[in-house]
Amino acid sequence: MKLKKLLVFPIIFSVLLSGCGNELIVTSQAEQVEISLSWWGNDPRHEYTLKAVEEFEKLHPDIHVTCSYGEWSGYQARNTVRMVSDTEADVMQINYAWIQEYSPDGEQFYDISKLAEYVDLSNFSQEALNSGMQNGKLNALPIALNAMTVYINKTVYDKYGLDVPETWDDLFNSARKMNGEVFPISMTSKAAWFYIVAYAEQITGKKFMNYDGSINFDENDVSLMLDFYKKLINEKVMPQVEYFERLNMDTGEYAGCVTWLSDASSYCDNAVKNGFEIVIADYTADNEDNIGSGWYTKPATMFAVSKNTEYPKESAMLLDFLLNSDENAELQRIEKGIPISDSARKYLENNNLLVGLQYDAFLKMSEYESELSVLSPYFENSDMIDAFIEACNMVLYERSSTSDASKKFLEDCKEILL
Amino acid sequence: MSYVKKTDNSKHIRKLKFYMILGYALIIIIVAVFISVFSINKTDEVLKSKVSSMTSMLNVQMKLNINSYLKKMETTSTLVFSSEEVYKYDATNPDNDEYEAINTEKIISDKLFELCIMENFVDFGVVYSNNHIVGKVTNGTIKLFGDNLYSDLSAMINRNRTHDGWYTGYKNDYTRIYYVKRVNDNAVLVTSFYTTELESVFEHPGGMDDITVRLTENNNIIIYSSEDGELGKPVPDNIMNKIGNQTSAGLIDDDFLITINECGDNWYVICSVPTGIILDEKNEIQIYILAVSILISLIAIILGTFLSFRIANPVNRIVNNLDTKAHLDLLTGILNKRSFEEFTENTVKQLPETQHHALILLDVDNFKGVNDTLGHAYGDKVLAGIGKILRETFNENDFVGRLGGDEFCVFLSIPLPNQNDHIKLIESKCSQLCQTFHNNYTGDDNNYKISASIGVAVFPEHGASFSKLYECADKALYESKHKGKDTYTIFRYDMKGDNIKL
Repeated sequence: MKLKKLLVFPIIFSVLLSGCGNELIVTSQAEQVEISLSWWGNDPRHEYTLKAVEEFEKLHPDIHVTCSYGEWSGYQARNTVRMVSDTEADVMQINYAWIQEYSPDGEQFYDISKLAEYVDLSNFSQEALNSGMQNGKLNALPIALNAMTVYINKTVYDKYGLDVPETWDDLFNSARKMNGEVFPISMTSKAAWFYIVAYAEQITGKKFMNYDGSINFDENDVSLMLDFYKKLINEKVMPQVEYFERLNMDTGEYAGCVTWLSDASSYCDNAVKNGFEIVIADYTADNEDNIGSGWYTKPATMFAVSKNTEYPKESAMLLDFLLNSDENAELQRIEKGIPISDSARKYLENNNLLVGLQYDAFLKMSEYESELSVLSPYFENSDMIDAFIEACNMVLYERSSTSDASKKFLEDCKEILL
Repeated sequence: MSYVKKTDNSKHIRKLKFYMILGYALIIIIVAVFISVFSINKTDEVLKSKVSSMTSMLNVQMKLNINSYLKKMETTSTLVFSSEEVYKYDATNPDNDEYEAINTEKIISDKLFELCIMENFVDFGVVYSNNHIVGKVTNGTIKLFGDNLYSDLSAMINRNRTHDGWYTGYKNDYTRIYYVKRVNDNAVLVTSFYTTELESVFEHPGGMDDITVRLTENNNIIIYSSEDGELGKPVPDNIMNKIGNQTSAGLIDDDFLITINECGDNWYVICSVPTGIILDEKNEIQIYILAVSILISLIAIILGTFLSFRIANPVNRIVNNLDTKAHLDLLTGILNKRSFEEFTENTVKQLPETQHHALILLDVDNFKGVNDTLGHAYGDKVLAGIGKILRETFNENDFVGRLGGDEFCVFLSIPLPNQNDHIKLIESKCSQLCQTFHNNYTGDDNNYKISASIGVAVFPEHGASFSKLYECADKALYESKHKGKDTYTIFRYDMKGDNIKL
C-alpha cells in the first residue's frame, strides 16, 4: 500500500506535466485603431506633416494614421470622389469653400463641437469657430487666416529704376520699362481670377458675388474682366496662366507674384536665398483710396472630420494635435499662415518663430483688415475659375467676341453654382 | 549481539548504499544535463528554423507587395494610352495652333489628373523634348532636373520591350522613385512618388519590429529602409558580406538571420534580424528547461534516497542477520572457528608490539563423559552454558569463539596493562573463569563435575601471529592438562612439548 502511495506522486506530476501540452494558447495582439488623414500641399508640407503624424503615433501607439496627400491641383477632385463615395479620410484638410459645397445642410461633416472633450476649442475665438459653422454645426476648424497677397521682387524693380507697384497703372508702366525681359507680376489661374475680380470690383464699385453665391456682375462687368486679362497678357504685365512657372520667381524672371499669404514660403523663399529682396506690396488698386477694396480674406485651410468616421475620438485627438500641439506648431511653424489656434500661436511667439515674409504678409492683412471682404465659399469654385480662364482665352485668341465670351461665362456660372 | 565483534559487512553495505545513492544521483544529474542540453540545442535549432522560415515568408510577402505596388503604378501610367490626345499630341510641333494647343493640353491635363486622382503621386505628367510639361510635375522635380528634364528622364527608360523603366537616386536624391514611360517620339510620361510611400508596402506585423526591411538597387544602395537614415547608403557590410552574390536565399549565423529576394527591375528585398534577438526567447525557454531539469533531478534524488532507505533497510537487516549467522557458532552464540581465527588473525596483524594482549585457549575437562553419561542434548546444553559464561566473563570487545567440540578460545583485544600487571590480569581472568566453572558445574545436580583446562599465550612475547599464539596457548593448555586439569597455565619457553617450534 505504501508503495502505491509513493507511486501516486510521480503519476500526478507526470499527468500535470503532460497536461500542459493541451492548454489553449491565446496570444494577445496589439490592437491599433487605424484612422486616415488627407491634405494637399507642396513637398515641405508633406515632409513636416508626415513627421507630425509620426510624432502623433509615438504619443499614441495605439493609433495608426494612414496618410493621403498630393498637390493642390487634383486634390479637390480626389476629395470630391472620396466624399461622394463615402471613402473620405477621417481627418481631412479642406478648403473654406468646401463647407458650403459639400455640406450645405451642415450634416456632411462631423459636428466637431461634439468632440470638445478631445479637441481644445478654447484655443479658437468665436469668430474663428463661426467660419467653420454651417447650419449651426461646427463642420471645420480653421488653421490660419488667408488672403491673396502681392509679393514683389524689389531687387528686380530697383534694377529697372521702378518703385514697388501700388496701382494697376504702375504695373503696366513697369511692363513697358521691363520690355518683355521680365514680367512685373505673375500668377496661377486662381490668383488671376481673384486679381482680376479685384480690378473689376474697384472699377465698377460692385461685388462680383454675394456671400450666398448669387452673382452681381453683368455681361459688361465680366467683359471688363476678360479685356483686362487680355491687356495684362498682351502688354506683358504677366505670363499666361497656362505658362506660369513658379520657379521663375526664384530666378527673378518674374518680378512679382500674386498668391495666398500662406504660400509665401513656397513662392519666395528660394528667391530670398538667391539674394533677391522680396517685399509685400499694398493690395493693388486703381488709387490710394481703394487699397484693399475688391480683395478678400478667408480661413487659409481648415480641418474637418468625416461624418462617417468610425473613430471620432481618435480623429479628434489627431485634429487637436494638428491644430493645438507644440509638437506640430514646431514642425509647421507659419507654413500654413499665422495659426488661429491660441496655443499654437503662443508657442511660435514664445520661440520667436513669428518672423519672415509670411508674417509680414500677415501684418499687411491685419493693416487692411477693415477693407478686406470675407470671401464667399462659392467664390473659389474651381469649375467657375476654369470657365473664366476658358473665356479669357477665347477673347485672348480672338475665338469669340468679348461679349459672347462674357455671356457664355455667366451662363456657365449659373450652371456651376446651381 | 554486541558481544560479537561487528563485522566489516555492515560498513560495506552502508558504503554500498552511499555509493548506490551517489551513483543514482549522478545518473539522474547526467541524464538531466543531457536532456537539458539536448532540449536547449533542439529548441535553438527549431527556433532558428521557425524564425528563418517565417522571415523567409515575410520576405517573399514583401517581394510580392513591392512587385504588386510597382505593377499598379505601371498600370496606372499605361492607362494614359487610353486617350489619343495624350500619345498623339506633340507639344514640340511648331505648326501647333496655340489656342488649340492650350485646349488639347487642358484635355491631357484633365485626363492625367483623373487617372492619378486617388494616388499619392508626386509627379504624373508628360514631359516633351522641349521640356514643356503637361500635367503634374512638381517644381521640386523641375528644379532638380533643370534643363535636362526630358533627356535625363528619357535616359531612365531601360526596358526595350515596354519602353519604360524605374529609377531612383537621381542626383543622389533617394526620397523619390521615378517611373518613366515613353509616350511618343517627343514625349515621356513621368510618374514619381515619395519613398515614404513604401512604408505601407513594407509594413509588417507589430511583433516583428526587430526585423529590418530594406529595398536595394542592384548595386546595393538602399532605396528604402525601415531603419532611419539609411536611404541612399550602401547595405551595411556586416549584412552584405554574408549575402555575397546570392539573390534568393535565407541565411543564419550567430550574428544575423538574413533573407533576400529579387523583385522586379533588379531590386532586392533584404530582411535582417540580429540572431541574438531571436534567441532571446531561447534564453527564456532555456531557463524553463533548466528549472524543470533541476526540479525533476531533485525530486528523483529525494525520491530515490527515500525509496533506497525504505527498500535497503529490510535488506540490510536480513543481510546483517545472515552475516551474523555466518560468523557465529549457533550452539553457543559465540564466534565460530573460522570467524574467530579470521578476526583474531586480522587484529593481531595490525597490533603494535608495544601493546599486550592474550590468547586464552580453553578445553572442557571430561566432556566426553558428559555426553556419554548425560546424553548429547545435555552436552549441547553444557556447551551453550559455557558460551554464556565466556561472554559474561570477558569484555564485549574481546573475541570469544568455539574452535570445535569442547575447545574454546578467547582473544583479549583490549590492550593489557604493562609488563607485570598484564600477567596478573590474565591470571585473575583465568582464575575467575575456573571459579565460574566450579560454581556452575559442581556436579550436585547430575553428580558430574565439569571443569576447564586453560592455556594462555601473550602477545607479543609469545608470538605476533594467531598461529604462533595458538601454538603457544595450546602448549600451555597441554601443560594444564598434564598438571591434572582444572587449572590454567601461561606459556613459558621452557615448556616441553613435541609440537612447539619457537
